[in-house]
Amino acid sequence: MADNTAVSKALQVLERQLNRPLMAALQVCARCGVCAEACHYYVADGELEHVPAYRAEELRKVYRRKHDFFGKHLPNWVNAQDLDEATLEKMAEMAFSECTLCRRCTFNCPMGVDTPLMMRALRAMATASGKAPEILEMLADAAIEKGKDPAMFRDLFVAQVAEMEKELQALVGDPNARITVEREGARVLYVALAGAHTILPPAAIFWAAKEDWTLSIYEAANYGVFLGDTARAKTIASRIIDEAKALKVQEVIVAECGHACASLVWDAPIWFQEQFPFRVRSLVEVMAEYVQQGRLPLDPSANPEAITYHDSCNLARTSGIYREPRVILNAVTTNLREMTPNGLENYCCGGGGGLVALPEYDDKRMKAGKPKVDQIRKTGAEIVVAACENCRLQLGDLNAHYSMNVQITALADLVVKAMRLPKSVAVPLPNAAAVAVGE
Amino acid sequence: MADPIKPDQILDLKGLLCPMPVVKLSMAVKKLQAGQTIEGIATDPGVMADIPAWARTSGNELLSIEQQGKEYHFIVKKTA
Amino acid sequence: MTIQLVTGALALAALVFSISVFASRWAQMQRLSFAKDFSYPKDSALKGILYAFTLGMAPWAKESTRIHMLAYLRGIAFHVGIFAGLGALLASPWFDLIPTIIRIVCAVLTGFGAAMGVAGGIMRVVEHHLKAISTPDDHASVWLVTLFLAAMTLALVSSAFVPAMWVVAAAMLVYAPIGKIRHCIYFYFGRLFFGIHIGRRGVVSGLIEHAIPVRSEVRHGR
Repeated sequence: MADNTAVSKALQVLERQLNRPLMAALQVCARCGVCAEACHYYVADGELEHVPAYRAEELRKVYRRKHDFFGKHLPNWVNAQDLDEATLEKMAEMAFSECTLCRRCTFNCPMGVDTPLMMRALRAMATASGKAPEILEMLADAAIEKGKDPAMFRDLFVAQVAEMEKELQALVGDPNARITVEREGARVLYVALAGAHTILPPAAIFWAAKEDWTLSIYEAANYGVFLGDTARAKTIASRIIDEAKALKVQEVIVAECGHACASLVWDAPIWFQEQFPFRVRSLVEVMAEYVQQGRLPLDPSANPEAITYHDSCNLARTSGIYREPRVILNAVTTNLREMTPNGLENYCCGGGGGLVALPEYDDKRMKAGKPKVDQIRKTGAEIVVAACENCRLQLGDLNAHYSMNVQITALADLVVKAMRLPKSVAVPLPNAAAVAVGE
Repeated sequence: MADPIKPDQILDLKGLLCPMPVVKLSMAVKKLQAGQTIEGIATDPGVMADIPAWARTSGNELLSIEQQGKEYHFIVKKTA
Repeated sequence: MTIQLVTGALALAALVFSISVFASRWAQMQRLSFAKDFSYPKDSALKGILYAFTLGMAPWAKESTRIHMLAYLRGIAFHVGIFAGLGALLASPWFDLIPTIIRIVCAVLTGFGAAMGVAGGIMRVVEHHLKAISTPDDHASVWLVTLFLAAMTLALVSSAFVPAMWVVAAAMLVYAPIGKIRHCIYFYFGRLFFGIHIGRRGVVSGLIEHAIPVRSEVRHGR
């Protein structure tokens, strides 16, 4: 009985998701197999299970059993298969741990088969039937909880920002440097990730560029996206969208985070069927604009180490952000060493799709990251820059696991290092310093 | 706010960035018996918002959370 | 004469069936939802679509087809043969009126296509991973189309083979919309959605840079 419930829930979700792009992805594959090497899992171990077409067939088998002429009447002819609970569990594990939704196979498919779309559909089926990784659900629910009751943490957050503001003032040598929180009428709402490391460097950059900005109280990460759960993803995104509308900002800038950027820039307007009254861009695009407009006093000799850049899949292939990081890097270092391949053809680091937050799949993740490790080693880089938090976490783990001896950093960190700042003045940091945080 | 509670387990989350403190904490709590307590020590300020939210959704009880210098200490009691 | 009439009618009926089922598949696609995209585009969707159907199909445009260059070119030759074969099929009632030179050119294309079909059929069995991801439908489809191309080649060379070719064509036309060959219409949707993605999201200009190696300040992905 329980079996049927989980399976039927999963199948209902599949039916509900059947739109034109998903139907095309389910129907068009000719099983030519040229996608194999596009997948970093396959590059890592050459196993059949890691050929993207094989993976997608797992879902297609179930679809055909329901909808295809042969699938219904002569299932073996098209390898159609009834969905049972064991198969559902296997498929769920595959969708969450053996595909990072990097789109490399789609770009390499002669038909343009959108395998990540199918894996997202599978994730949604798994989530609806209680087969999704518990941790992703927990992280998504915690984010939703924060949105329901911001008072729970707002004061703590504002107090933390006040501390950070002092650090900012010391860093940029300007006692008037400010980090405001949810200031109405600011031009820009910056949405960071949890923790100071994605707030302080951008704050210094905004200060240098004389940007009129304010800080969101929410974090940009959206674990609903990884679950393939549009309802939860929308709820998480709506925290920021409502905040931006209330503050009447002209632009929302998302921290260096791949999925957060892709989901807010590209997915959210589709989820909400609405053109927001503000633009959403990645911090990477904005920093590149500042560089091009000459708004940052940069000295590329400040970063003399050999540096390579890892393209986040969500930024490059999903959001078209592959030139901007190079614009920035060429302004902050003279020693950029590109990986091969890079940019739009870059390999996933192995941590995408939420995998980095799932300790139960650590072994798979380390194995799938091997092609990236090889790429990095070949560059001889001492510093690996990534504009995505998931990538940085994965690269950090790969660094330890494979003893790469590199330093992992964000683009903003390098920019700040390259900024010619007035000598850090000894900023008085009294405890009762007047701080402009929040309303 | 001196804390009289002596936790059953101490979890070192220093140096971990979001979402790892929450991930590690939830895994550790899973292994506890109901009624046991765990103290987490993190350096990522994000925990000050994330841990209370996690506690609410997971149904565990957050007994205390506070900043001590550069560290964030919190005690969670497993309820079920 | 009777054989010609019967086989011709059979082929015609199969053609009507094929077109009807394909049309209903097309209509089914149109009935499915396709959410309006309210995001601010970074570049033009049209540019992406144009790329997806032209340069994006070039053998050197993708890493996959660079790695599997021979297999890809085989596939291209096979499909060129198929298009020539379908054209010839529509003209087949009037073969005698067609200039010999055109029949020969067509026969070369379909003949070569058939040979490439045989190669494809063999590849599907010999290559370990390809065999594992193939369904019986995949094998049947490639051999059925190959048989059609072979029959068409013979029919183009000698009209005596036309009735036999029509029988084979009828079988292929009936099978096409219900078996794997149906990918021929979904291809347009697959490339279209890919084109829209790379267009709107500003990916396409980088892909064009790959496909047409021009001087550029920053090179990506080579």
